[in-house]
Amino acid sequence: MLMDSKKLEELLKKYWDCESSLEEEEQLRTYFCSNDVPDQWRETAILFRYFDEQKGKSVDPQFENFVVGQIKSTKRVESGKLVKLFYNTMRIAAGVAVLLAAVYFVRQELRSDNAVAVEDTYDDPQRAFEETKRALLMISKGFGNAEQQAKKINMFNEAQEKIQTPTTTDSEL
Amino acid sequence: MNLETFQNRVLPAKNKLFRFALRMLGSEDEAKDIIQEVFIRVWNNRAQMDQIQNMEAWCMRITKNLSLDRLRSIQRKGTYPMEEGFDVKHTDATPDVKTELGESMLNVNQLIAALPEKQRQVIYLRDVEGYTYNEICEILELDMNQVKVSLFRARNAVKEKLMKINAYGL
Repeated sequence: MLMDSKKLEELLKKYWDCESSLEEEEQLRTYFCSNDVPDQWRETAILFRYFDEQKGKSVDPQFENFVVGQIKSTKRVESGKLVKLFYNTMRIAAGVAVLLAAVYFVRQELRSDNAVAVEDTYDDPQRAFEETKRALLMISKGFGNAEQQAKKINMFNEAQEKIQTPTTTDSEL
Repeated sequence: MNLETFQNRVLPAKNKLFRFALRMLGSEDEAKDIIQEVFIRVWNNRAQMDQIQNMEAWCMRITKNLSLDRLRSIQRKGTYPMEEGFDVKHTDATPDVKTELGESMLNVNQLIAALPEKQRQVIYLRDVEGYTYNEICEILELDMNQVKVSLFRARNAVKEKLMKINAYGL
């Protein structure tokens, strides 16, 4: 392809300033990839030839068939995915069922506890009075026992007082 | 989207996707693995794909994101150092390519490999793959200004170094 040097310089300037269009860049590439390039643009020509050479690399022709084969077998993969999805859903459902059962049993347990508390009240006032009396007696008996034990501690107080009395008299003297 | 549409609209981008992934990962096997994953993802989400206007740019974007994820996982596992994945000169400078490209071509390769990651991606998408600025914005998830600034810096860095090579034969 022939191109006068003025036009070439103009195009190259646009190229270096990033103002050239894709078509103009293609013109430059075509020009520089031809054999008759003046010496002054030898290095620039090498740059464009390098770009052109880079474009030559390609994946092997069998690759396309391989990809199509892979894609055709994705249906099987999809059915496999469905089974997987089903199993995952079932696992989540089982987890939820266990949780619900646990909540149910805990609630049952709490209800039965309350039921015992309710049974404690007596319908018969006489019986309730006797039960209360019995309970209060038990408490008072407990207090009685505690008092006897406390009296033992009182011995210490008495002993302390006895010790303290002579010392005070000593100081008075 | 049926299989025929997929074959006509998505699969023709395979070479561009492969080159992009290869550029980022530096390994043909890894790149193939990534684009296979891209195609399967697109197929599995084909119901939503009809709303996408530029399918190729969309696929390039997925390729970029998956490649970055793969690079991170490689780096985490310590399989090979980051540089090998990122650095293009390691990828391309195999002995047979060396003879094929010649020394000057290798110089250019090194100039581009020395650019920062963003600039390298932008110059690659524009000058090798011929994408429009809008497409590059979509692929790299950058705004127009960032794309233009990166391209300007990348081209000028390359130009400066080329001029030096020309003047001093470095």
